[in-house]
Amino acid sequence: MVTKHMLKYGTPVIAGVTPGKKGEEVHGVPVYDTLRQVCSEHEINTAIIYVPPAFVLDAVLETLDNNIKLMVVITENIPQHDVMKLLLEADNAGARVIGPNTVGAINPKERVRLGAIGGDNVERCFVPGCVGVISRSGGMTSETSYMVKRAGLGVSTAIGIGGDSLIGSPPKGLLALFEKDPDTQAVVSFSEPGTSFEEDVAQFVAEGGFTKPLVTYVAGRFTESMPEGTIFGHAGAIIEGGKGKPSTKIKMLRDAGVHVVDRYDDIITVLQSLNLEGVRAHAATSER
Amino acid sequence: MAEHQIPVPRFFVAGNEAEAIEKAEALGCEVVLKALVPVGKRGKAGAIKFATDAKSSGEAARQLFGTVVRHYPVKQILVEEKLAIDQELYVSITLDKPARKIAILASSAGGIDVEEISAKYPDRMKILRVDPFRGLADFQAKQLWAELGLGGAVLRQATDVLIKLYKVFVKFDCTILEINPLVITKNAKVVVAASLMAVDDCAMYRHPELAAYVQLGSDRAWRPMTALEKQVVQVNEDDPYRGTARYTEMDGGDIGFMCGGGGGSLMMFDALLSYGCKPANYTEFGGNPPERKVFGLVKGILSKAGVKGLILSANISNNTQVDVVARGVVGALKDKAIDPRKFPVLVRFAGVNDTAAREIFKEAGVEYYGEEISMSMAAKKMMEKMKQTYPGSQESQAASGA
Repeated sequence: MVTKHMLKYGTPVIAGVTPGKKGEEVHGVPVYDTLRQVCSEHEINTAIIYVPPAFVLDAVLETLDNNIKLMVVITENIPQHDVMKLLLEADNAGARVIGPNTVGAINPKERVRLGAIGGDNVERCFVPGCVGVISRSGGMTSETSYMVKRAGLGVSTAIGIGGDSLIGSPPKGLLALFEKDPDTQAVVSFSEPGTSFEEDVAQFVAEGGFTKPLVTYVAGRFTESMPEGTIFGHAGAIIEGGKGKPSTKIKMLRDAGVHVVDRYDDIITVLQSLNLEGVRAHAATSER
Repeated sequence: MAEHQIPVPRFFVAGNEAEAIEKAEALGCEVVLKALVPVGKRGKAGAIKFATDAKSSGEAARQLFGTVVRHYPVKQILVEEKLAIDQELYVSITLDKPARKIAILASSAGGIDVEEISAKYPDRMKILRVDPFRGLADFQAKQLWAELGLGGAVLRQATDVLIKLYKVFVKFDCTILEINPLVITKNAKVVVAASLMAVDDCAMYRHPELAAYVQLGSDRAWRPMTALEKQVVQVNEDDPYRGTARYTEMDGGDIGFMCGGGGGSLMMFDALLSYGCKPANYTEFGGNPPERKVFGLVKGILSKAGVKGLILSANISNNTQVDVVARGVVGALKDKAIDPRKFPVLVRFAGVNDTAAREIFKEAGVEYYGEEISMSMAAKKMMEKMKQTYPGSQESQAASGA
């Protein structure tokens, strides 16, 4: 289903790899036994990894071995020791991993979508525009992009970074990329309890690493009144040893000059108040 | 530990007071009695007692068996020989996620909480980050203890123990293995006196031998799991590879809460509290679950006493088929003989196949919304619906204070 959706959107899916299935086709895409076979016949720059948890580490090593520098690891519930190893190897190879446990990423202008993101009706949430979107939650990547659309704007690139605490692309590094991206004028992020992702972002913004407007909503305030060490939602959403509290994140982000909204729906009004380019032009086209 | 040749005190497990006396007699020395409960900082929680002989160990056992340590009633205790302590060390092995390495934290000031060590004795604490592919080399372990002031035969033993602990950490896919204290006895033996070990749920398929010792999903509760929670874990495990359904029971509450997605559920729960609603549980589901998983989940949610309404609010789905979810929800309502025209049920769920879903919900009499209202608006509407259905009810109007 995902391959079909990606092709329909216009994303060139060159080949698939499933051991023992060489010669078959999926929606017209040829299948090979190994990535080496694919790379000897095609130019590949991105890999999407969908294999079950026990095989992900090997799949990532195979991808790195074939010199592919961008991979999206969709699989959830991978043993943490495996994730640590695959991220270390990717770091050492200078490759970027999005995920694990991610819905994927999308660039509506280039019509590139990696993974299930956008579902069967991409334009419902994702229209081209100047706002970057970052979220641990795949669903909230779409919902937040829909908020951007309701504000009369569109998305430059939206990335579901994955719901675990051990991931390849935390928000700080992505903000560094958005800072350099001429198509992005502002970024909206959806934040959650646990990890130090938001604290790292606050420091990065305070140090001048990201200078465009950043709007964020911090979810899960109620978790602070629950006993520590309990997971709510994503595996990464856990307050431990007093670290990862939404209230701390909110304070640090506000102190750094980030627009932290109290109610999720306020993302719309804050975005509209930023006077970003192309608001009107896009509002007209999104009405159709 | 003992199976992996790591030195531990001689010990027995006792299930009652008489057994504790018998085991203490068998040990024939001063003993330590420890409640077997899955919580840290047991000393502070009063879960550890000392006894000089068999008789006083009976007294100590009686005290322990009568207690509940952080929600966990004491059902078994460990009776072990009391070590003649010369020095207490601390060592823990964890995953250093940002560094993508295995971190070993060691200190020559053991026996107290690690937070206290780092506050009071930062110079007696060392961190070693280990490349998981290369593993922990003997010389690294030796160097670590030497830097903390160990020498002689004790240095060699502590090195050996640390290498073995590292192997256990890796072999069992641990997320933490903490030894506090690691004791140096008066006759210069290095012995693991207390340990805390957590195994990664995601790696349990590699460790069937541990299945009897762990409760899956226990990191999503702060107390022993309730019958309903275990029931939903079973519903989830019945279809292990298709979708996820999680259920955490909250204290009290009157609204069954169901949300799609980890992030959305955090946001929705906050939104409901902000409007004065009282959710009876925390539930998130996703990953395109089959109908029977949704059915089992909703049945569980509606089974809790005091639940007088149900809200299902989710973000616009990327791959979860909303019509499949709709059939599961409607089926569970039917199974529980609930008429959504009288019992408040509100759904906000747009996404894959939502046209069909709208029809299914409408036909069943469920108030359904797609993307025409936001998730926060759904929370507000639910609050109004509860007030309308149960006018004057205290529960639906109480402010949460959150």
